[in-house]
Amino acid sequence: MNGILRPFRDFFVSIRLTVVLLLLSMILVFWATLAQVELGVWGVQQKFFHSFVVLQEIPRTGISVPAFPGGYFIGGLLLINLLAAHLYRFRLEWRKLGIQLTHAGLILLLLGELLTGLMSQESLMRIDAGETRHYSESYRQFELAVKDITDPGFDDVVAIPEAVLTDTGTVQNPKLPFQVRIRQYYLNASLQMKSQTPGLPASGATAGIGPGISVMPLAPSTKENEGNMPASLVELVAPEGTLGVWLVSAALGQPQTVAYQGRTWELVLRLRRYYQPHSVQLVNFTHEKYAGTEIPKNFASRVRLTTDNHREDREVLIYMNNPLRYAGLTYYQAGFENNDRTTILQVVRNPSWLLPYFACCLMGLGLVIQFGIHLFGFFQKRSAAVAA
Amino acid sequence: MLAVAGLSLIGCRDRQVTAYRAPKDPAPVMPMPKTAMANTNDLPPGHPPVGPDAAIPGAPAAMTGSVPTSANTDLVWTAPAAWTAKALGTMRKGSYAVPGEGGTAADLAITAFPGDTGGLFANVNRWRGQVGLGPVEAAQLDSSTQAVEANGLKMIIVEATGQAGGNPTTLLGAIVPHNGQTWFFKLMGPQALVAREKPAFREFLNTIKPR
Repeated sequence: MNGILRPFRDFFVSIRLTVVLLLLSMILVFWATLAQVELGVWGVQQKFFHSFVVLQEIPRTGISVPAFPGGYFIGGLLLINLLAAHLYRFRLEWRKLGIQLTHAGLILLLLGELLTGLMSQESLMRIDAGETRHYSESYRQFELAVKDITDPGFDDVVAIPEAVLTDTGTVQNPKLPFQVRIRQYYLNASLQMKSQTPGLPASGATAGIGPGISVMPLAPSTKENEGNMPASLVELVAPEGTLGVWLVSAALGQPQTVAYQGRTWELVLRLRRYYQPHSVQLVNFTHEKYAGTEIPKNFASRVRLTTDNHREDREVLIYMNNPLRYAGLTYYQAGFENNDRTTILQVVRNPSWLLPYFACCLMGLGLVIQFGIHLFGFFQKRSAAVAA
Repeated sequence: MLAVAGLSLIGCRDRQVTAYRAPKDPAPVMPMPKTAMANTNDLPPGHPPVGPDAAIPGAPAAMTGSVPTSANTDLVWTAPAAWTAKALGTMRKGSYAVPGEGGTAADLAITAFPGDTGGLFANVNRWRGQVGLGPVEAAQLDSSTQAVEANGLKMIIVEATGQAGGNPTTLLGAIVPHNGQTWFFKLMGPQALVAREKPAFREFLNTIKPR
């Protein structure tokens, strides 16, 4: 290895780097724990762990500057450090097998965490008693659904995610005979009827119920108990010209319809939906309490799982620590509301959920082998000493 | 590099416009609250009310069935024991049902918005409109409101009795500017019930204080 690359190699295989990174990760976790009071779990995850740098706002300036390495940076560097050290010091010897397996398990654990962060998807499914659901909804992300509702049997939906809406550009989709131009997107806003509060500014909408409503932008929140209520000004542009500008908001209770070329579309801003090729019906929900108290003893949902092709149709009981795993999804009993008439299931898709188990098995096996070799050696030495 | 590549992949997934065929949603079951029926002149028939006091359908809610309290707000308060805490819509900082006789109930809504939200004059007339009363002139504002102070907070108390949904209804509210925001504490319900709860409401206002 030439002299230029040697310092890089020495840096990445260094145990000092490992120690520094572990220290940084401890500080990060401590800081994030304190910040959770203000930001909530979701906000902390985004700011501290699902980021390369932690951005911190300079008070009273609105300017954010990098303040600390983020979770992806520390975790990524730790992974590189571990891989580099593993490859550099790798020796194909039986005596090293325990160490090799332990390190391989640790690498797998870090990779699993990375993949979980990147690929897992969590959502909620709220089902009233007797109701059937094909979809779960995101906790916080919204989408604009443009639905062709002309057919009485189904809807053809074009869903534009929030990440696209915030860019306020133009969306063209082959399923739509018009362009959807996002003129304004408010991450959080309250609506007020103009007729009830004279003097409020117009929303800018020209069609639907928007002209009678005023939009008051609010600061977005990341706290668990403070959901955002986004709103958007959406213009539909057909080849012959604009069809109008609609105000859509998650706070509006009914979708607005647009008629064009003999078909009817609905515009609705809603929590992002994840549809599945199977449905879940809530047969009943039970909420047991300890006698004479309000302390929950158990709550459980009896659901009926039906696939669209009718190959599967069965009842399942979901309760605490007994989730339903089906088609790569895990349905956990997460909560209830509406006087026990509505169950809330957490729906998790995590393709790498088995990796931590494999990693722990590998590490456990590695440690057993490593300590076993030492123990065996120790006994051999002692036997030899006694014999001598 | 692996992380960067993965993040780009996920970034693309989050930005993907999707098209699919889906079963129809069941028609929303949202009975119109009687108290709001007088003020929906710009909404299509059957549309639920719009505004800070409206219950939000499908709004993100807490994961458990727990009842929200005044936690995590700039102002804190203690509600009378007889009032029942209700689940918050996303607009409400606090929400209580005030039970009356014969199954009647009044609604206490606590909301907060940045700035002066159009000013005192507009808000008083907005509240009057909710019980079917016409607007007051600016000169009459002092006579139709009462200014009090509690725990260092300046409060404007508004009382308006009229009709909502064909029933005699009273709105008893307090507008509280605090820390660049305007807080609204609004008790609204059957006239007799709100009259009965008026002393409890005033006591409740005295418990409001900055965190």
